[in-house]
Amino acid sequence: MKPIGLRTRVSAAFALGALILSTCISLMSYESTRRTLFAERERTAVRAAYFDAAVVNAGIAGADPNVSDVLRSLDTGSDRYVLLNRDGRWYSRSAEPAADAAVPQALRDMSAAGEAGAQRILRDGRPELIVGIPLAGSATFYEIISLAELERTLRTLGLVLAAAAIMVAAGGAAVGWYVTRHALRPLAAVAAAAREIAAGDLTTRLNPATEPDVAPLSAAFNDMADQLAARLQRDRRFAADVSHELRSPLQTLEAAASVIDKRRARLDDRTATAVGLLTAEVGRFQSLVNDLLELARNDQPAQCEPTDLTELAVRVCRQRNLPADMVEAVDGTPETWPADRRRIEQALGNLIDNAIRYGGGPVAVRVGPGWLEVDDAGPGVAEPDRANIFDRFVRGPAANARGDGDGTGLGLAIVAEHAAAHGGTATVADRPGGGARFRIEIPGAFS
Amino acid sequence: MNSVLLIEDDDRIRLSLTMALEDEGYAAHAVATAEEGVAAQRRNPADTVLVDLMLPGMDGYECIRQLRRDDDVPIVVVSARDDTHDIVAALEAGADDYVVKPVQVKELAARLRALRRRARIAVTAPSVPETSVLTFGDLQVRPEAGEVRLRGEPVAVTRTEFRLLCELADHPGLVLSRQQLLQRVWGHEFGDERVVDVHVGRLRHKIEADTGSPRHLVTVRGLGYKLQP
Repeated sequence: MKPIGLRTRVSAAFALGALILSTCISLMSYESTRRTLFAERERTAVRAAYFDAAVVNAGIAGADPNVSDVLRSLDTGSDRYVLLNRDGRWYSRSAEPAADAAVPQALRDMSAAGEAGAQRILRDGRPELIVGIPLAGSATFYEIISLAELERTLRTLGLVLAAAAIMVAAGGAAVGWYVTRHALRPLAAVAAAAREIAAGDLTTRLNPATEPDVAPLSAAFNDMADQLAARLQRDRRFAADVSHELRSPLQTLEAAASVIDKRRARLDDRTATAVGLLTAEVGRFQSLVNDLLELARNDQPAQCEPTDLTELAVRVCRQRNLPADMVEAVDGTPETWPADRRRIEQALGNLIDNAIRYGGGPVAVRVGPGWLEVDDAGPGVAEPDRANIFDRFVRGPAANARGDGDGTGLGLAIVAEHAAAHGGTATVADRPGGGARFRIEIPGAFS
Repeated sequence: MNSVLLIEDDDRIRLSLTMALEDEGYAAHAVATAEEGVAAQRRNPADTVLVDLMLPGMDGYECIRQLRRDDDVPIVVVSARDDTHDIVAALEAGADDYVVKPVQVKELAARLRALRRRARIAVTAPSVPETSVLTFGDLQVRPEAGEVRLRGEPVAVTRTEFRLLCELADHPGLVLSRQQLLQRVWGHEFGDERVVDVHVGRLRHKIEADTGSPRHLVTVRGLGYKLQP
C-alpha cells in the first residue's frame, strides 16, 4: 500500500479538527437557539392563553351560558386550538371531536389542584404545547398551540449549521494543504539542491538564514555537500598527482630507452629483444598515464564551440594514415556543430584506434548532425558485452583473444566520458553486414 | 651542428634527455636552474632552449620572460604540467611551443627542427634584397626582410610570431584553420590549438590598437583566423 503523504495527513488532521470544532459550536448554538425560541414561544403562548382564559372565564360566568359560542368568539389562528372542561364535560369550538385525549394526565392533575401549567406534547406526530388554566368554578381552560412552524425553523437552522460545519472542515483541509506547502517549502529547496549536486554542481549550498526552522537540516546538508566535494576533489587530485608523479620518471625512461634503442644493432639478440620489450612497455605506460590523467580531469564541462566535425574526422583519419574518403558526411550535416574539439578529436581517435586494434580496421567514419559513427570489419560486440564495454579497464573478448599489449583498457571509457561531457552518449550496435558500429551522440546545446 | 640548451632540475631527466638529444644530432648543454640557464644563454647562445616550468629558485615562466627579453631564441617548454592554465601562462610569457612530459625524443627533435627551419627563413632573409611588401592598411609585412611595420614603425616580433603573420599575410582575407596554422608554422601534424590562440593574442598586442576588437587579425568563429586590411 502506498504510504499516506505528510501533506495529506496534516490536511486530514486540520479538516478533522475543524470539523470537531465547528460541530461543537454548531450543536451549542443550535441548542441554545432552540431553548431560547421555545421559551419565547412558550411565554407568548401562555400569555395568549391567559388572555383567552380571561375571555372564556367572563363568558361562562353567567348562568347556563353557551360554552361553544363563547369558545367560538375567541380570536384564534389556525395554529391554536382551545378546549374547555366544565364539570367533567369537554367543550371545543367546532363540531370536531374533542381532543381531550391529548391533554396529559399530569396537566389535568395540576389543573384539578387549581394550578396553571404548560406541557409540550406530541399529537399525531406533531409537536404542540398545551397550556392548562383553571377557571372559576370547576372549569379548566386548555389551549393547544402548534409548534410545527418553530420546528421547521429549527430544522432549517440545523441544516444551515451542518452545512457550515462541513464547509469549515473543508476550509480546514484547504488551510492544512496550504500551510503544509509552505512548511514543506524548505524541504523542496533541499530536494532541489540535492538534485543539483547529483547533476554535478558541487557548489550548491543551502542558506540556513532563509529558513531558520530547518537550519539544522540546512547545516547538515551543506556539511554533507562539503564533505562530498572535498572527497571528490581528493580523489581527483590523487589520480592527477599519481599520474603527474609518474610523468617525470617516464620521461627519463623514454629518453634512456631511445638512447639504447639507437644502439640496438650493436646488441646481441637477447638484449635487443629485452630492449624492444622495454621500449614498447614504456610507450604503453605513457598511454596509460595520459589516459588516467584524461579521466581524472574529465569532470570539467566540455568547452563547446562551433566545430567542423567533418574536417575534424578527416584530420583524425589522416593522423592514422587512413584515406580521407573514408569519412562520409550524411546529408543535412551542418557546416559546424557545437563541440569541444579536443575531446571529440580524442573520442573519435580512440574509436578508430579501437577499430584498428580489435575490429579488423575501420570501414567507414560517418558524420551527421550531432553524431559520429565508426564502422569496423571485426566480429562485432556481443549483446551481453555492450553494456560494460565502455567501463574502465574492461576489455572485450577481441582484446583478450589477441593477448593485446597496446591498449590501456581506458580508450572506450574516455569515449563515453567525452560524450557524457557533451550531455551525449556513446553506444555500440551491429553494423548491417557484420562488424560493429560505434556511435557518439553529442546534442547541440552550447554549454 | 644545432645547439640546444636544456634547463631541467631533475638530474636523471637532464642526463637522459641530453644523451637522447645528442643522439638526434644536437649539441646539448644542460643546466639545473633558470639562473644558470639565463646566464649560459647570454654567454654562449644556443639555437633553441628547452625549459621545465617547475624549477628551484626562479621558475620557468620568469626564465622564459628573461630569455625572451634578451632575444627571440625559440623556446620550447617541456613540463609535466598540462593544465590549460600552465600552458597558456608559459606561452604568454613568450614560449614558442609546449610539450608535456613524457615526450618522445623523436617528437621533441621534430618540433625543434620545425622551429629552427621556420626561423631560419626569417634569419637568413636580410641578405636577400627586399622584394615583396604585403600591405594590410597601416600594417606592412616584408617576408624576405623579416620585418613588420605598423604605421611605418618597425614592430618587434619573435620568429614564430613572424612566421605566423607571414602565413596569414600570404593568404590575404582567407581563413586559415588553427590546425592549418599549427601544421605550417609549428610543423605539428596534430597538436594543441592553444599554441595558435596564444600566439595570435601576442601578435594582436603588437599590431592591434584595440586587442578587444581586432582590425587586422580577426577570429572567424569555428573556422580560424584571417588577416585583413
